[in-house]
Amino acid sequence: MDIFANLMTGLSVAVQPYNLMIAVVGMILGVIVGVLPGLGGANGCAILIPITFMMTPTSAIILLACIYWGALYGGGICSILFNIPGEPWAVAVTFDGYPMAKAGRPGKALCLSFLSHGVGAIVGVFILTFFAPLIAEFALKFGPPETAAVMILTFSAMTRLGGKSALKSLVAIFLGFILAGVGMDIVSGKLRMTFGSIPLMGGFHFIVAVIGLFGLGEIFLTVEEGLKMEGYKATLSLKDIKESLRELYIHKRILMLGSLIGCWLGIQPGGATPGSFMAYGFAKSSAKDRADYGKGASSGIIAPEAAAHGAGTSATLPMITLGIPGSPTMAVIMGGLMIMGLTPGPMLFKENVEFVWGLIGSIWVANFLGLFICLLFAPLFAAILRIRFAILLPVIIYICAIGAFAVNNRMIDIYYMLIFGVVGLFFKKLDYPIAPMVLALVLGSMAESAVRQALIMGRGNPLIFFRPPIALPLMLLALFLFFLPTFTKWMKRLKAKKAPV
Amino acid sequence: MRRADIYVALGLMLVGLLAIGDAIRLGFGWGMSGPEAGFFPFYMGLGVVICTFFILLRAIRIYRKEGSGKPLVKPGGLPQIFRVLLPAVGMILLTELIGLHLATILYLAFYMGVIGKTPWLKTVAISILVPLAVFILFDKIFLIPLPEGIWGKGLIPSF
Repeated sequence: MDIFANLMTGLSVAVQPYNLMIAVVGMILGVIVGVLPGLGGANGCAILIPITFMMTPTSAIILLACIYWGALYGGGICSILFNIPGEPWAVAVTFDGYPMAKAGRPGKALCLSFLSHGVGAIVGVFILTFFAPLIAEFALKFGPPETAAVMILTFSAMTRLGGKSALKSLVAIFLGFILAGVGMDIVSGKLRMTFGSIPLMGGFHFIVAVIGLFGLGEIFLTVEEGLKMEGYKATLSLKDIKESLRELYIHKRILMLGSLIGCWLGIQPGGATPGSFMAYGFAKSSAKDRADYGKGASSGIIAPEAAAHGAGTSATLPMITLGIPGSPTMAVIMGGLMIMGLTPGPMLFKENVEFVWGLIGSIWVANFLGLFICLLFAPLFAAILRIRFAILLPVIIYICAIGAFAVNNRMIDIYYMLIFGVVGLFFKKLDYPIAPMVLALVLGSMAESAVRQALIMGRGNPLIFFRPPIALPLMLLALFLFFLPTFTKWMKRLKAKKAPV
Repeated sequence: MRRADIYVALGLMLVGLLAIGDAIRLGFGWGMSGPEAGFFPFYMGLGVVICTFFILLRAIRIYRKEGSGKPLVKPGGLPQIFRVLLPAVGMILLTELIGLHLATILYLAFYMGVIGKTPWLKTVAISILVPLAVFILFDKIFLIPLPEGIWGKGLIPSF
C-alpha cells in the first residue's frame, strides 16, 4: 500500500543519525521545558525557532515537534511529585497523581503517567498516519471560501471549550486578528494601525506574543502565588513498571477512552489541556471505583495523561493537512514552518513528501524514544526542580528575552515581550483565554486573505461562505458547535421548570 | 477583581475603537480590488467593541450587586511581581547600553545574590557561566547576533 511505502520513507528519514540526534536533544530539552513551571511547550518552541533557521526544514520540524512531545511527557513529573503543574495540560493529573505520590508510590504514579503518555501517543500517531493522507487529498478541493469556513469552524470550536465565558474568548480571538493586522497590508501595501510610529510598522510577531503571554505571564502568576517547591523523591523500580503495566491492562477501557477523547480534541482544535480535563471527567463519571478518585486512583492518572498526549500528537493532523494547528503549541510550530517558507496545507503532501512523512516517521520514533528516556532518567529530570527558584527564574527570563530578540533581531521585541507578559497576567486572572488569541495571531494573515479572496469570488456576497458542497456543512457544524452549550443550558432550564419541585 | 474586570474590558474596548478608527481612515468598504485594506480590521474591531460592551454590562451589574469581590492580586503578591518585573526592565534598559551579555551578568548576579540570597560563589559562577554559554552558542556557533547596545561592541573582546 501507498501509506506503508510512504511511512517506510518517513521512518528512514527519522532514523538518519543526524535526525535521530536532533530528536533526542529535542526530547530532553522538551522534558526540561515541561518540568519547569513557567516554560512550556509553546514558548519552548517559540524560543528555539530562531535556532532552527540553520537546519533543513525536516530536521527543524523534528526538533520543534520533539520539544512538544518532551514537554507533554515532562508536564506530569512536576504535577505528580510537587503538586504543581509544570504545564497547563498537567493540571488534571495533579488530582490523582499527587495523592498517589503522597501515599508512598511516586514511582508507580510516574510510570503510569509515562506509559499512558506512550499509549496516547501511539493512538494519536496511528490516526495521523492513516487519516492524514485522506484528509489532505480531500482538502485539495478547498478554495478560499472552504479555507475560511474551516477557520471559522476552528475558532467556534475553541470558543466554547473549557467552559470559559464565550464573550471573552471572542474578544481574545478578535484581538489576535487585530494584532496580526498591524503593519503592512499584504494586499494593498497600505500601512495599518501603525499610527505613524516606525516600530509598529514591523507588526507584532507571534513568537514574541507567545513568549510574553505564556512564558512571562505564567512566571508572574507563579511568583504571585508564592511558589513552594516541596515534593517527593522520584525513584523508579522495575516493580513499579510491572505494576503499572498490569494497571494499564486492567483499565484498558479508560486508557483507550482517554486516548480517543484526546485525539478528538487534538483534531477538532482544542489541544492537550481541554483534552486532559475532559478525559478525567469522563473517566471519573464512568468509573466503578469513583470513591477512589482524588485519592490516588490509577485510572485518574491514566485518563488525562493518555488524552494529553493523544491530543498533542493528533494536533499534527489538521496542521499538516489543512494548515490549521490543533493546539497552541502546534500553532507555534506551524508559524515556524511558515517562516521557513513552507505553507502547511494539502499541497505539502504533494510537494514535500519527504518532509511530511519524515515528520510522521519521527513522531513514531521520537515517542518511543521519549518513553524510554523518561523511564530511565525521570529522577534526573525531577532533580531540576530542586534547583532554587531564585536561580531558575532569572535564567528563564533571560532565555525568554533571547528568544524574543532573535526572531527579528529587534530590541523593541523584548519590550513587547514584557508588555505581553503583563497582559498575559491580567488575561489569566480575568479568565480571558490565551490559546485562541495566539491561534488568531498565527493564522491572522491566512484567515484574512482567505476571507477577502472568498468575498472577491462571491462579488461581495457573504453567502459564498455557505456554498455547497464543502463549505456549507463546515459552516453549519461551526454554528452548531458554537451554539451547542447555549442550547444545552436552555434545555436544562426548561427541564428544571417542567419538573415538579 | 471585578473592578479590574471593568477596567480591562474598557481598555480592550479602546483597542477595538482604535482599530475601527484606523479602518475607517483606510476605508473598509468595497474598493477597486475587492474589500479594502481596512475591511478585516474594521469587523474585528467591531467584534471587540460589541463583546467588551456586553462583558462590561455584566461586570457592572455584578459589581453593583455584590461589590468588588476578591482582590485581583493576592495580598503580598504585588511586591513579589514587581521584584521580578523591575530587575527584568532594568536588564533590558542596560542592554540598550552595554549589550545583552554584560547586562545579563549583572542581572543574574543581582537577582540571585540580592533578591534570592544565594551564596556568593554560586551566584558569581552561574551569572558568568550562563551568559558565556549563550555567547558561545549564539554568537559563535549558530551565528545569531544578540543585542550589543551602544558600547557593547567595545566591551566584549572578539576572538
